[in-house]
Amino acid sequence: MLKNQRAIEVSGLSFLFPDAEVKALRNINFSVDYGEILGIIGPTGAGKSTLAMCINGLVPQVIQGELEGKVYVKGLDVHKGNVAKMSEHVGFVFQEPENQLSQMTIEEEVAFGLGNLGVPREQMEGRIKEALQQVGLLGFEKRSPLALSGGQQQRLAIASVLAMKPTIMIMDEPTSMLDPKGKNEVYDVLRSLKEHGMTGIIIDHEVERIAEYCDKVLVLNEGEEQMFGPSAEVFAQIDTLHQLTMHAPQVTELLHQYNQKNKQDVKLSTSIEEAAAILENAYIKS
Amino acid sequence: MNSLYLPKESFIHNLDPRTKMIFVAFVVLSSFILNDPALQLLFLVFLFPLVVAAKLVKPYLISMQFLLLFAVLIMTVHGIYNPIGVTPVFEIFGGLTFKYESMVYASVMSFRILVIGTAAVLFVMSTHPSDMASALVKWKVPHSFAFILLSTFQIIPIIAREAKIVMEAQQARCLDVKGNLIQRVKNLIPIFAPLFIITFMKVHQLSYVLECRAFSREGAKTSLRDTRIGYKDYAFLIGILLFLAIEIYLQLYLSGFLNLTTDALLTYSLIGTWVVFGFMILKFIFKRVQSLVGGVADA
Repeated sequence: MLKNQRAIEVSGLSFLFPDAEVKALRNINFSVDYGEILGIIGPTGAGKSTLAMCINGLVPQVIQGELEGKVYVKGLDVHKGNVAKMSEHVGFVFQEPENQLSQMTIEEEVAFGLGNLGVPREQMEGRIKEALQQVGLLGFEKRSPLALSGGQQQRLAIASVLAMKPTIMIMDEPTSMLDPKGKNEVYDVLRSLKEHGMTGIIIDHEVERIAEYCDKVLVLNEGEEQMFGPSAEVFAQIDTLHQLTMHAPQVTELLHQYNQKNKQDVKLSTSIEEAAAILENAYIKS
Repeated sequence: MNSLYLPKESFIHNLDPRTKMIFVAFVVLSSFILNDPALQLLFLVFLFPLVVAAKLVKPYLISMQFLLLFAVLIMTVHGIYNPIGVTPVFEIFGGLTFKYESMVYASVMSFRILVIGTAAVLFVMSTHPSDMASALVKWKVPHSFAFILLSTFQIIPIIAREAKIVMEAQQARCLDVKGNLIQRVKNLIPIFAPLFIITFMKVHQLSYVLECRAFSREGAKTSLRDTRIGYKDYAFLIGILLFLAIEIYLQLYLSGFLNLTTDALLTYSLIGTWVVFGFMILKFIFKRVQSLVGGVADA
């Protein structure tokens, strides 16, 4: 069966908020394989967060509305289970670091989800250590979460999710509230997760980061799927992106400008090294 | 840490929160059983070694100042004006007389406040909020209720900071926060309305987060912090029971013979609270003058 091979499989997904006239999501289809990271980009109000919340069942179970279509995660029908059950498979990191914290100390914060899953106390310590190690917060166990910086708080939120050992991680604009240092901290964690083979969905406005970290990209606009494919392919369609008031990574934009000015057709790369090589070649040729 | 909890290594801190909750209940009960100012005063003296044992003497005395304020007010006003008083004890200027019955009434009330306050301070300062929550869960209190209790500690500083942000934002839009009293009370609306909305949104968001952390999952939950009732707790509880037995004995059989509540005791305790109160006022004035002088020196 196809749906058992994929980590996430979304087909024909539409969603209407109870007090809205226009559907927040219209006929979304995509799939993510195990070990892949999907980036979702789009202007504000495109339905990115709603889509992310459909994948772990927050929509429509907690946030009510009319939903059509199917969402399968690890072959399970998300809308048949409940969010609490789904949280063993899908971890969700929200935008605001501070709102995700509810406990008195960092170790308790990480232990909270474990406690809800009924993990025995003997195993807790090891899993807390492991999760904090992954986000680089080891040694902070006894501190108050409120005493951390924004970047650290977000890493703590990620650790709390990681400790629950989900196979899939969804991050909804995890860095938009953070300063550049905090952003780097969070993306370093993401990189190490990717190396560990985590499947993930990340929503962000920074296309450079998306291009660097994501295998596939989904472009949303006003609830509609505009583009879906490997990130290099999506970012190569710069004109479409511009129409949607978005842009490609700066190196790709540079190559695009070069093509237009010199009437050439060099490959639109998203990585800096490759782009440098391409430009060098083009320069030598001319 | 945002709660009043003061982490220390002591006998009281190591007790199970449940034992301490029983202790608070016991103190409240005793303060009603011992319906006599002298016995209550004695009880207060007996409680003090526990405060010393918990190494909380200084924070305890600081928090007691506020309760003493109540005691002074109750004892003075009730002692003079409570209509149940008949027998005059002593007279101060202006023909205001303290009467025996009303002084007994006032002393019982204010000592009760002090006794219960002592137990409450002892409990709050020596118990980690998370331990309290997990102990409550062991008493079959619903998990969500224990969580509400716990998250209150967490949300208060967040609300305080949001309040500051809202206040500054409204000030930037010409909200007068330094006007007269009526103006300031009126201004509470533009500050509190957004604050409430922000808080509700935050709580709403938190509920999503909790859902994603499997909070509503059915089945047994575990907790990182463990509380266990050990031999210390049993010893403490037996002590409480013994004390309760003595109290009941005192009240039932000795209340007729034993009359510790003399005029002198009442008068001295009244004057005692006045003196302590006087010191508090002096300290306050001293600090005020100091800051004033300091301010002048700075200028």
